[in-house]
Amino acid sequence: MRKKIALVTAAGLLASVVALSGCGGGSNSSGGTSSAQGAAGGAGAGESKAEGGDAAGSGEALHLTFYYPVNVGGSAAQLIEGLCSDFNAENPDIVVEPVYTGNYDDTVTKLQTAVQGGTPPEVFVSLATQRFTMASTGMAMPLDDLIAADPDGQEYIDDFLPGFMEDSYVDGQIYSIPFQRSTMVMFYNKEAFKEVGLDPEKPPTTWDELVEYGQKLTNENRYGVGLALNSGSAQWAFTGFCLQNSENGENLMAEDGKAVMFDTPGNIEALQFWLDLQNKYEIMAPGIVQWTDLPTQFLAGEVAMIYHTTGNMANISQNAEFDFGTCFLPAGKRQGAPTGGGNFYISNGLSEDRIQAAWKFIRFMTEPERAAQWALDTGYVATRQSCFDTDLIKNYYEELPQAKVAFEQIDVAKPELTTYNAAEIWRILNDNIQSAVVGDATPEEALKAAQEQATEVLAEYQ
Amino acid sequence: MKKKKAIGTMITIFAVLLGLLWLIPLVWLIGTAFSVPSFHMTLFPTTAFTLDNIKYVWNAVPFGTYYINTLILVVCTFVVQFVTSTMAAYALGVLDFKGSALVFAVIFMQIIIPNDVLITPNFMTLSELKMVNTKIGMMLPFYGSALAIFLLRQHFKSIPRALADAARIDGATTWQTIWRVYMPCAKPAYLSFAVISVSYHWNNYLWPLIVTNSPANRTLTVGLAIFAKSKEANMQWANVCAAAFIIIIPLLLAFFVAQKQFMSSFVSAGIKE
Repeated sequence: MRKKIALVTAAGLLASVVALSGCGGGSNSSGGTSSAQGAAGGAGAGESKAEGGDAAGSGEALHLTFYYPVNVGGSAAQLIEGLCSDFNAENPDIVVEPVYTGNYDDTVTKLQTAVQGGTPPEVFVSLATQRFTMASTGMAMPLDDLIAADPDGQEYIDDFLPGFMEDSYVDGQIYSIPFQRSTMVMFYNKEAFKEVGLDPEKPPTTWDELVEYGQKLTNENRYGVGLALNSGSAQWAFTGFCLQNSENGENLMAEDGKAVMFDTPGNIEALQFWLDLQNKYEIMAPGIVQWTDLPTQFLAGEVAMIYHTTGNMANISQNAEFDFGTCFLPAGKRQGAPTGGGNFYISNGLSEDRIQAAWKFIRFMTEPERAAQWALDTGYVATRQSCFDTDLIKNYYEELPQAKVAFEQIDVAKPELTTYNAAEIWRILNDNIQSAVVGDATPEEALKAAQEQATEVLAEYQ
Repeated sequence: MKKKKAIGTMITIFAVLLGLLWLIPLVWLIGTAFSVPSFHMTLFPTTAFTLDNIKYVWNAVPFGTYYINTLILVVCTFVVQFVTSTMAAYALGVLDFKGSALVFAVIFMQIIIPNDVLITPNFMTLSELKMVNTKIGMMLPFYGSALAIFLLRQHFKSIPRALADAARIDGATTWQTIWRVYMPCAKPAYLSFAVISVSYHWNNYLWPLIVTNSPANRTLTVGLAIFAKSKEANMQWANVCAAAFIIIIPLLLAFFVAQKQFMSSFVSAGIKE
């Protein structure tokens, strides 16, 4: 991770030197003409004709390039291509070419390169936490004017779940629209609950209960509690625990993204609680468990309660050989959970007709029915209030009531950690949390160090 | 004598153990790729044999196109490198001209610069040449190879002048001298560079991802990434292994067939990567 950041930075530095030779930021003409057909997701659907003159054969059609990362497996790429060809069929004057861009990190790298090469995509999906970077580097544009000009623009924005919409703002302006969003919930093994005499319909609701249940559930073959503490995941779970332990729901960072509050007494307690789960109560595996291994351990019955993303619902419901339940994350002083995932952005510096076309595309992709279907197909949480009035979601919840918890929990959920230079701040927090987990520092020392390093990094944005 | 024999046996046992250790990932990969997905991680598959994983990933991503693209990329790049590097190495290693040391130093310095750092400048150049999202654009930055020039130059230098002189006396032209004397003598160097070049371009991911947009121009590694990098929820190991299997099989077969040549070329060239 660190190496990657260093590389990207180095690439950026080098580029800025070379950039002196100037590269006219002309509009994008390199996009191949995608003719992806068949929403059914036919295999080679993405056959694209090689580029040629702009709009050679298709009249005056406007070509938009759309970068998207895939984080939930192969079929998501086909779904996106299907959605884009639906859009193209409905809007003959616009051709959206979907371009798969790896994971979130690769997408940012490709985006930066394309911007410097003068061929940015018109629309892209990137982490919601990237918004400060997108705004400060001028890669994305504020969307407020588009919303104001749209007849039902304000209504549209108000329809998004506030917990998701909250991390679209930079300095009071909206920079992104929620798309593939998730939150953290607790999955628990009902059969293990029964086995140790706990009521399977009463999952833990507080930290004290978590410890109490965890102690009952732990035996030589099984841990009571599971948390992924690897770099890149620890900060997500930590946001949740800090929210739960805060007096009034204070998050880890200031809303303007220019300050972090890592070393508050509440947060130190939260980190101490993690260590206690491992060392004092011995109900959680010591050391660092990987994010991608945790669901596997849960399914194998090696952990009874895990903190994981709702995105795992399909995997767990298909593979669990036991009855499982989901619940809100247990509360400390209050309830709380982190949100995460990717949003739509529009590139900066586009011509007016391209901006309008891009906006149209975003509106299309986030229509309630479509957003609902996307949620069902991928495991993300539907982003709009009106999605939950659709039969799609209603039937889904009837079939799989465990999925509903995520939606209900959004009310108490807050954005995960993000600031300017978010990647660096994430690294700082993750590194220091890990040093506490492996015993190199006390929680207080670790968070004080994290606070100090992060403040230094953020100094240039004050 | 006895002692020597004992040591020999021990070394053999150790080598076999090491070999088995290296085999573990491959065994696991193939086992997982060809068995019904399971959430239990075991070295040997515990579930039934199936081709569904392979079928699923093959259909989820246009691997056929990706195969052809990767082959074009790997073959064309190597052929051009072969020609350019031979000529450059001959000039630098055999011909005496003013400033050859400086030219060599400049070329040599390129070995130090990691390719990833050059992604942005290369992309900008290609963008101005309107070559983004083309196969030629994907290959162009690799048409000259500092490593190949260095390798070949060192080899050419070690070939006795007398051989070339003899050829000349027999009436060989410069081309014929290169073709008949230098190239056959430097075969190990060519072979080891071929291995490096082919495996590098076969496995390269970030550059093809960045410089191409349409599936028509993309390579196998981009197809693999759709599965291997999708880890927001959990790793779908069966799919990852199936995709990885599809990608590694040609190189794997090539290795089994041409194992001896690979080994000897590496030993004689004295480099690993």
